[in-house]
Amino acid sequence: MPGMKLLVVEDEAKLADYLRKGLTEEGFVVDVASNGVDGLHLAAAGDYDLVLLDGMLPGIDGLALLAALRQSRQTPVLMLTARAQVEDRVKGLQAGADDYLVKPFAFSELLARIQALLRRGRPAQTPAEATVLKLGDLELDLIRRKAQRAGKRLELTAKEFNLLSLLLRRAGEVLSRTELAEQVWDMNFDSETNVVEVAVRRLRTKLDQPFERPLLHTVRGMGYVLEARAP
Amino acid sequence: MTAVRTAPGLGARLSRSLALLTVVGLGLVCAAVYAVIALTLLQRQDETLDQKQAAIAQLLGERGTRHSVAEVQHLLGDVLAGHAELSLRVTAAGGEVIFDKVSAPAWPAKQRKFNVPVVAAGPAISVLLALDQRSDDALLQRLAWTLACTAVGGALAVSAGAYWLVRRGLVPLHRLVEQTGRVTAHDLARRLDGSGQPMELQPLIEQFNALLGRLDGAYRQMEAFNADVAHELNTPLATLISSCELALRRSRSAEELRDVLGSNLEELHRMAGIIGDMLFLSHADSGSDARRERVDSLAHLAGEVIDFHEAALQEAGLQAAVVGEAAAQVDARLLRRAISNLLGNATRYGRAGSAVTVRISRLDASSVEVAVENDGPDIAPEHLPRLFDRFYRVDPARSHADRNHGLGLAIVAAIARMHGGRASAESRNGQTRIGLLLREM
Repeated sequence: MPGMKLLVVEDEAKLADYLRKGLTEEGFVVDVASNGVDGLHLAAAGDYDLVLLDGMLPGIDGLALLAALRQSRQTPVLMLTARAQVEDRVKGLQAGADDYLVKPFAFSELLARIQALLRRGRPAQTPAEATVLKLGDLELDLIRRKAQRAGKRLELTAKEFNLLSLLLRRAGEVLSRTELAEQVWDMNFDSETNVVEVAVRRLRTKLDQPFERPLLHTVRGMGYVLEARAP
Repeated sequence: MTAVRTAPGLGARLSRSLALLTVVGLGLVCAAVYAVIALTLLQRQDETLDQKQAAIAQLLGERGTRHSVAEVQHLLGDVLAGHAELSLRVTAAGGEVIFDKVSAPAWPAKQRKFNVPVVAAGPAISVLLALDQRSDDALLQRLAWTLACTAVGGALAVSAGAYWLVRRGLVPLHRLVEQTGRVTAHDLARRLDGSGQPMELQPLIEQFNALLGRLDGAYRQMEAFNADVAHELNTPLATLISSCELALRRSRSAEELRDVLGSNLEELHRMAGIIGDMLFLSHADSGSDARRERVDSLAHLAGEVIDFHEAALQEAGLQAAVVGEAAAQVDARLLRRAISNLLGNATRYGRAGSAVTVRISRLDASSVEVAVENDGPDIAPEHLPRLFDRFYRVDPARSHADRNHGLGLAIVAAIARMHGGRASAESRNGQTRIGLLLREM
């Protein structure tokens, strides 16, 4: 969603800088405020599509800022916090935050949340979702739940099919292990086991091994991406 | 330290109460003694008067006619002999005083007046007989004073005695206080010496020593834990530092640098994972409870987690199945996490080609057990109780196995505690079973 205006209220200079850099690269227009007072002023005055708000700020505390902002504006707010406590989450959401992300977070996860919030704010444009997804010589029939590559049928388990269809729907985007676990298996906790790796590895044997050009790539430290790369 | 409102000292309180009790008790006894003696004295006075009245009446009535006045006076004197406390005045019918003896300066209060007819229907001799009670009154007064003084004195003696006894009885306690004062965090192995202490204090000493034992254990564990944390975080940090330094030493291609960054990111994720798990554990330790919801089928929930692990289980040559079923009030997210950790464990240690069973059993109306069983090498009995300790590894050589950082089972135990239950481990005859007891409210 390029061209949308974001405000980052974050007092940690390094993190703020990295957020500005990353989000600008993704095509957003980014302003940064380094304390609560400036943050509130900008958020209330400027016309932002979304505010990224740190929970602990000098000047005004994040929750207080949020409460003050909600007096005048309904700009979507994504809270960032160092504390994982459930009570904090509840407090933040009660104060009017739209979503909540615990530090440290993966940038891809942040991006996904931002996109979800921005989508939520818009009138639902329902592009008739394609029933057949394609990438190169890979073809996925979502209705009949069949996958084939170069005309050859791929024998996938139900979960493998779901995994592949998620990767295909978001082709070109790096998906983290955590996100895959959440989207495919509905397991929303950080697992110390390597089950996602193994599942991806097994999918890869079925998807890529018999063929010349691999589609499923590992991005070290980040996750996995499905894309047709130039040879 | 917050100010504690203390009750008054045991010695002072006991001696005060005992003094009060003694005063009341002795007071009652003294009152009874006084009452009995006073009553007896009164009775004796009445008896004396009765007796003398009868004697005088007889003397004047029957024989009065036969005796001369001098004889009568003599006889009346005999009657009164030995009774200094009696006064008597006998007045003849004509008003002439025949006999007059007053023992006290004035006529005493206790009097009897009566007439004795000399001849039938003739004029009567009037008699006034009086008894002087002053000596009895004086006796009673002395008695009252003596009793009162004894009661008060006795109470004081008891109070002082009680105070002294309590002081003496508390001397061992002071010794205990001194001993307790010498226990420090670095010297938790020290125990209180119960020898020479009274029997009543023994349970306290035993309990205190047991508490010290538990503290000692917890303290050692915490120290070991701190060392483990430092070590666990130190290893990835060392890797990160050297890989960054190495990357910056020479000019590298973008491809090489991307590789370094990716590898560093993996280490960083690992560290974030360890810290996240430690935060979860500390949160659980601080008494956080599970957010319960009704789960109609624990078997279904376990099945979902098995699905998640399917690929890894297959790769390890294991078959997993759920046995048993129950509905329960649990935190589904936490329970999934616990089962996932247990399945991860079973995958790591399970014998290839064997089966892994997730067994769900309802133990009673308020508790459910979820256990994961796998075939594999026995865990030695000495390791079993420590299996749920943070960073505890049965085989130190396996430490830093890439993604497993030794907090998985600690988290399982924490999740059990958050459900008011506990985790248990058994291992024998090539079968290992790790269970999770969940209690419903």
